[in-house]
Amino acid sequence: MSHVTSPTPIIAMKDIVKSYMMGEVEVLATRGISLSVQKGEFVAIMGMSGSGKSTLMNIIGCLDVPTSGHYRLDGVNIRHLDDRALSQIRNKKIGFVFQGFNLISRMAAIQNVELPMAYAGVRTKERRKRALAALNMVGLSDRLDHFSSELSGGQQQRVAIARAMCTNPALILADEPTGNLDSRSSAELMTLFSGLHDQGRTIVMITHEPDIAEYASRVVILRDGAIVSDKPQSSSRAVSYELEMSGAPLLGQVRAQD
Amino acid sequence: MSAIFGNFFMAVRGIGSNWLRTFLTMLGVLIGVASVIVLLAIGTGSSQSIEKSIQSLGSNTLTVFSGSRSGSSSGTQIRNSTLNIASVTALSSSVNDPDVKSVSPVVTTSLSATYDGTSYTTSVIGSTSSYLTAENYTVSAGRSISHSDVVNHAQVIDIGSSVASALFATGSDPLGKQVQLGSSDFTIVGLLASKGSSGLSNEDAVVIAPYTAVQDQLTGESQSFSELLVQGKSSSTLSLAESEVESTLASLNDTTVSSLPFTVIDSASLLTAATSSSKTFTALLGWMAAVSLLVGAIGVMNIMLVTVTERTREIGIRKAIGARKVIILTQFLIESMVISFLGGICGVFAGILVSRFKIDGVKPVLASYSIPLALGVAISVGIVAGFYPAYRAASLRPIDALRYE
Repeated sequence: MSHVTSPTPIIAMKDIVKSYMMGEVEVLATRGISLSVQKGEFVAIMGMSGSGKSTLMNIIGCLDVPTSGHYRLDGVNIRHLDDRALSQIRNKKIGFVFQGFNLISRMAAIQNVELPMAYAGVRTKERRKRALAALNMVGLSDRLDHFSSELSGGQQQRVAIARAMCTNPALILADEPTGNLDSRSSAELMTLFSGLHDQGRTIVMITHEPDIAEYASRVVILRDGAIVSDKPQSSSRAVSYELEMSGAPLLGQVRAQD
Repeated sequence: MSAIFGNFFMAVRGIGSNWLRTFLTMLGVLIGVASVIVLLAIGTGSSQSIEKSIQSLGSNTLTVFSGSRSGSSSGTQIRNSTLNIASVTALSSSVNDPDVKSVSPVVTTSLSATYDGTSYTTSVIGSTSSYLTAENYTVSAGRSISHSDVVNHAQVIDIGSSVASALFATGSDPLGKQVQLGSSDFTIVGLLASKGSSGLSNEDAVVIAPYTAVQDQLTGESQSFSELLVQGKSSSTLSLAESEVESTLASLNDTTVSSLPFTVIDSASLLTAATSSSKTFTALLGWMAAVSLLVGAIGVMNIMLVTVTERTREIGIRKAIGARKVIILTQFLIESMVISFLGGICGVFAGILVSRFKIDGVKPVLASYSIPLALGVAISVGIVAGFYPAYRAASLRPIDALRYE
């Protein structure tokens, strides 16, 4: 584990196993994942469908708890936390950006951005100030009162980023953020993520698109519920992801690295 | 706290987003609350009018009917089981019946009264002047029938206000006019003040004449009376008067009180019976209204379940970004409470409005307790009907809710 250098990593996972019962059969979605993410890293988690990346993302995001293993998020042990405590962790430590934008359609952009702060108990004035600043940062200060039906996909996703940012979370967790966007909007969005990374934000992004993963500083590849590759960006190229994701040839190399 | 306050506006916005559905749901509560108020008002109104009409019968009177209370009195030889003038004389004795103020013999029939080609069917009561006092009739013009009218078999009558208005044009004076009752002519000597309408019968559709004249001309009955109206000295001694009347009649007829061939009924017990039956009636109406409120509650619950299902994804988003269970719970509870409270308020206004109209001859009287009751029930309906859907929403797992399409 070459990345475990700082004393308080944002993500510290050890032997994370998540199993489901599919009828009578126990299915392992993740089979002992250990992962450490330091403050300021921009990590892309890649994998094909069924690789366990959604399960991992749910566990990282405290939307789900692992069956076994240890997980500390920003120093907080997630095991044995109840629903209420998990809500608070999600609210304070994590900013979510989803594939489907997941804005509340009945609320204007600024209200969507204010919502997590409302749940955190931030006062109305402060809330508005921070929401305005966040929307300004993503370049939507002229769309404050627009509803999601009046915004393009790229704009909706930027509202979602503003919403994720405004609570000043320890981790920004993006699940296929460009999955529903055209290539131009995708590039704009990734530029935004790169900017956040440059500001020292910690970002974990789930994706299956190699060209999107290129924006990250580190790429983790999952297959069959286990990490098969974990490399800094400089040493990998898009072509090699394709190879690694497609199957066996690089497996030996990956094992060697573990 | 501010989160819960913010929740309120969120709930109101949620309601506004599908106003037609919200309106229809509110309509269920509205109709329920309005029917609670209106039906209780009808119950209260009708029981008040029943009480009023019984009170107008005279508050401390006894009525003696021919006929045994137990129905059959076989085995006992009854020599004289009719009410006649001897009974009146016996009951009027202040020695045997010290608590009896007056005894009025009553002969009743129903006839057509005709004047100048106009006919009006009315009840005709043959009695004495004391009947008017005992029955709370007052003479508004002219005079009441007198003792000498009774003695002289005078064909004179006092007429009730309904009879007067039916037979005579407004402005004309009925006093001294001859009215044909059956085949005989009677002269109007007095007009009775209106006792007001009552739920039971129109007590102003009445003609009062000396019983002697009625027996002679109309009923053909020789000496017997259909009933005796006994007025007690006071309502507190009415039960004393009742036992005095019973023992006097028993000794007069050579029998015991238990096998008396007469029935004595006092107006107070009639009032009690009527009051209790009208209370039952009101309670029944209340239950019917409660059923319609229940239907409204089911409507609220149904729509809240639909809302929760529709907004599963929204709930997932809210939970993902940090909404605690209690926040989601209160959001949906507030929503259902706002629906039922608004429905309840509109229902109160609708109920008050409808209660202003006469319904089926009954003037509804708003029961003061019905408004807080109906509103309280409406809000409780919101809580109870909203709780299960809200709890379901709050218990959704965020990953399941987010995956929901």
